[in-house]
Order: sequence, then C-alpha cells, then structure tokens
Amino acid sequence: MAASVLDSCVDGIPEGLPDFTTDAYRSAYSRINAIVIEGEQEAHDNYMAIGTLLPDEAEPLAQLARMELRHMKGFQSCARNLSVEPDMPFAQTFFAPLHANFQAALADNRVATCLVIQALMIEAFAIAAYHIYIPVADPFARRITEAVVKDEYTHLNYGQAWLKAHFEECRDEIEVANKVNLPIIRSMLEQVADDAAVLHMGKEDLIEDFLIAYQEALADVGFTTRDLARLGAAALAG
Amino acid sequence: MFGLIGHSSSFADARVKARQLGYDAFADGDLDVWCTAPPQLVESVSITSLTGATIEGSYIDSCFVPEMLSRFKTAKRKVLNAMELAQKTGLQITALGGFTSIIFENFNLLREQQVRATTLDWSRFTTGNTHTAWVIARQVELNAPTLGIDLGKARVAVVGATGDIGSAVCRWMAESIRVAELLLVARQQGPLEELRDSLAGSSRILPLDLALAEADVVVWVASLPKTLTIDEATLRKPCLMVDGGYPKNLDSRFSHPDIHVLKGGIVEFHTDIGWQMMEAADMERPQRQLFACFAEAMLLEFEGWHTNFSWGRNNITLEAMERIGAASRRHGFQPLALSPQSTVHSLVA
Repeated sequence: MAASVLDSCVDGIPEGLPDFTTDAYRSAYSRINAIVIEGEQEAHDNYMAIGTLLPDEAEPLAQLARMELRHMKGFQSCARNLSVEPDMPFAQTFFAPLHANFQAALADNRVATCLVIQALMIEAFAIAAYHIYIPVADPFARRITEAVVKDEYTHLNYGQAWLKAHFEECRDEIEVANKVNLPIIRSMLEQVADDAAVLHMGKEDLIEDFLIAYQEALADVGFTTRDLARLGAAALAG
Repeated sequence: MFGLIGHSSSFADARVKARQLGYDAFADGDLDVWCTAPPQLVESVSITSLTGATIEGSYIDSCFVPEMLSRFKTAKRKVLNAMELAQKTGLQITALGGFTSIIFENFNLLREQQVRATTLDWSRFTTGNTHTAWVIARQVELNAPTLGIDLGKARVAVVGATGDIGSAVCRWMAESIRVAELLLVARQQGPLEELRDSLAGSSRILPLDLALAEADVVVWVASLPKTLTIDEATLRKPCLMVDGGYPKNLDSRFSHPDIHVLKGGIVEFHTDIGWQMMEAADMERPQRQLFACFAEAMLLEFEGWHTNFSWGRNNITLEAMERIGAASRRHGFQPLALSPQSTVHSLVA
C-alpha cells in the first residue's frame, strides 16, 4: 500500500560482497581483523583472570579461555589467507580503556564487573559483529566465523548464569559497570564504523545488534523489561 | 500469550512517549539514535473476554517511526528484530501493526526468515488483515444506513481495491452486502482487471476523481499522497468515508457536514484494557479502542487458533472473515461507529 514511500537504501552500504583484493579493503581488514584477534586474546586472558577470583570455577573458565585462543588462531589464519598483516598496535590501543577497567575491577575482586565487561559486553559485541560480518565475509573467513559464533553463545551463557545466580547481591554493581563501560563500547563501535563500512558492515546494524544481544543477556540475568531500555540507553546516548 | 508489534505514529510522538515512560536517552536522541535502538517489550496486559476467558499478552515497540521509511535497511531491520523479540519472548501469536505488515509485504521479508540465531516461525505471526477487512466491511454495513444510504442501491468506491484488505472488502461488498455497484480504484491496471473479473455483481474500474464523484460510500485502504486534494463540491451528499489506511489522516481533508469520515479498521472492546499503548495511537478512547489487526491476535489467542490466520497477499476468504467476525462479537469487540451528532445532522438535513 505504501510502496511509493518505501525508497531505496540511503545508509551508504552497498548490497552484496565487497572486493576482497582492493587496497582499501585490505587496509580496513588489517584493523578489523586485528581487533578481532586482540579481542579473542583479551577474552582468553580475562577468563583466566576471572578464574583466580572464582577458584571453584577455574577449570571451566580455563576451558573457555582455551577456546578463545583457538578462535584467535582461526582469525589469524583469515588474515594470512588474504595476505594481510593485522595492525596489532592499533587493536591494543582500541581495547585499552576497557582493558584498564577490567584490570581495575580484577584488582578489587569485583567479579560481577569483570563478568559484565567480558561475558556480557565483549561477547555481545563479538556476536553482533560476527553475525553482520558472515554474509559479507570472504569464503574462508566465513567458515571460520560461523564456527566461532556457535562457540561464542556458550560463553555468553556462562557469564549470564553466574550473574543470574548472584543477581540480588550484585545488581547494583552490574548497574554501575553498565554505566561506566557501555559508553566505552559505544565509542569503540564508532571508531570501527568507517573500516566496517568498507567491509560492507553497517554501523546501525552493529549498534542495534549489539544492544539486542546485550539486553537479552541482561534480561536473562534478572532485569525487567523496563530496566533494559534504561540500561541500554547508556550506549545510545553516546 | 499474544503479541502486538507497533510503533509510534511519528518521530515527535515517539519522543514524547519515551519521555513519559522515563526513557530520557531515547527522548533526547535524534533520528539516528532511534535507528540503532533495539525493539522494546514495553507493556504486558491481561484482558478478559465477554465469555469470561482471560488471556495475557505483550506490546512490543519496534522503535520504528514513519520517518525511517526512506531508510530501506533500517525499516527492514526494525521489523525483523521486533519479530525475533516476539518469538524469543514466547508469544504464540503476534499481530504486525501499522507499517509493520506493510514493510513486511513490500520488502518481501519472507526471504529473511533467519535473524541471527533465530529462524522466524511464520505461523506465530498474523497481519491481522482478515479482521481489519471484516471490521471495515461491517463499519460500512452498520453506518451507511444511519446516514440514509441504502447499500442495496449504493455505489461503493474502494480506493486501494487490489490490496490484501481492499480486495477482501470488495468481495464482501459484492457477495455478502450486495451493493448496487463497486467502483474499483488502484494504481495498477492488470490486478484491477483481474479483481473486476473475479467479483460477483456489478463493478467498474475508475480513476480516483471519477469514482469519488459517483460514490455514496468510499472505503480508503491505501495511503494517500500528501499532495492529494479533493474538491468537496464534486462529492455526493451524504457520503460515508471509511478511513482504513495507515496512518489515518483523512478527517483533516473534509469539512462539509454531509461528508462523514469514520476511522476504519478500529474496534472498541467491551471493557477497559488497562494499557497505555493506544494513547499514542490517537484513539479517542484509548482504554477500549484499538486497531482491528491487534484485536485479531487477541481473538486467535482467545480461540486457541495459534496460526498465521492472515498471511500473504489476497488470501482472505469470506469464510475466514465470517469466522473471525463471529469470534470478534463473541469476545466483546465492536466495530467503531460514527458519533451520534454526525448521523443526526445528516438525517435531519
């Protein structure tokens, strides 16, 4: 009925696959791929660190950490496949603010904050990015990424399960961790937007998909639907 | 559990509603912010039928606003993400309200069944168009006589005749009400000719201005171009205009006392629903009035018909309309009627 008002896309992201061989693509890929590699490395280190705070959980957390290292190697092979050198210094700078907040929480034994940063935020960020990347990835990276996505859902559930079990005592801490760290995630998404666009990944899609995954995790942990919009808004306001 | 997927009627309204709900970051955000906002389950209600049965359901705001229609990918994403949320929430039958079903149909979202890790189950969704078509048809049937219009002798124009709702209304007018003549108006000639040839009774294809000049009743089920102007002097008097399009903006175009505009596809429930969501939809009695497409999801839940009762294009049969209409009456929904002042004036005049 309203066909005349339904115009074509104006978000600047073309339909279809990008040309994986151009300099522009390879340059953007060197940063995006590095972020992914660094993200998996950070995830490994973070799960091992959380294991020191939760000695009873150390073994399953170590298993998760090993899985993250496998993912990292997979993504390193994606860069080799395209003959791209990942820009690791860029990626380390990219993660620095979140890394610092995680380390501060770790030093203070704030388990809930560590889990919010790693098991909810970083995992939701990764899942959103991987889902949006898969349809526009090169065939090699697509296979690797599809396998990783399946694993990522397992970790997210792990973090949720612990926070859910301890919801009442750590509710306030989760809210604080959300308020402090969600704007950082938002700014990370902003920083990556131009390079992501070269890979045909839209910024709007990245932010909305991240918020969907993140709010879903928060709902499972125990927040009400009214809380979710309020908590997620910390990312929108950025 | 039934579900309703809706959205605000404009960006300005959406911001006001967000402020009322205490979502200041949404209220302060610009359109780009809303384009990245995920769907929100904003309200859960329980409602009780005339039969005494009680059901529960939820309203999901897709965070879509009509200003996003020019952003193809955004509009598509809003609809699919809201549907995914409905399914993941465990809602068994969810109506696609406002622009949601229009976007679904026009962008052919049947091709987009996979949303991240969720495979959308189409049987959990309904456009609600069967109930909407039945309600519009009944609104004509019940209100035309109050203006002194004898439907057996009347010409009824249907603007948007070849659409899902329009074609169903045409069939009902031709076969159940048996109006004197149907005047068919739509953009595409091919589907119009097919429709005319499939209808029992007398019908003619006309351009809009000629159809309006001859019609005693006009059913609008197309969105109107903002630039469209209608000369009231050329219209028959009295004339019943049923505004079944979305958004409902027809009443602002007519001022003559014998042109009676009725909001089409709206029902009134027998008791207050106790929700906030219809206040944003410009209903006069937001506690009782709602879109017929939403009511269809409630009816399917009351009846335990967990199926996509209305789906695809031009699949609405008279039997399905009668069936949903009977359920509508049984559970306490009434098609919205003209206000009494409106009909008194016409009969006196």
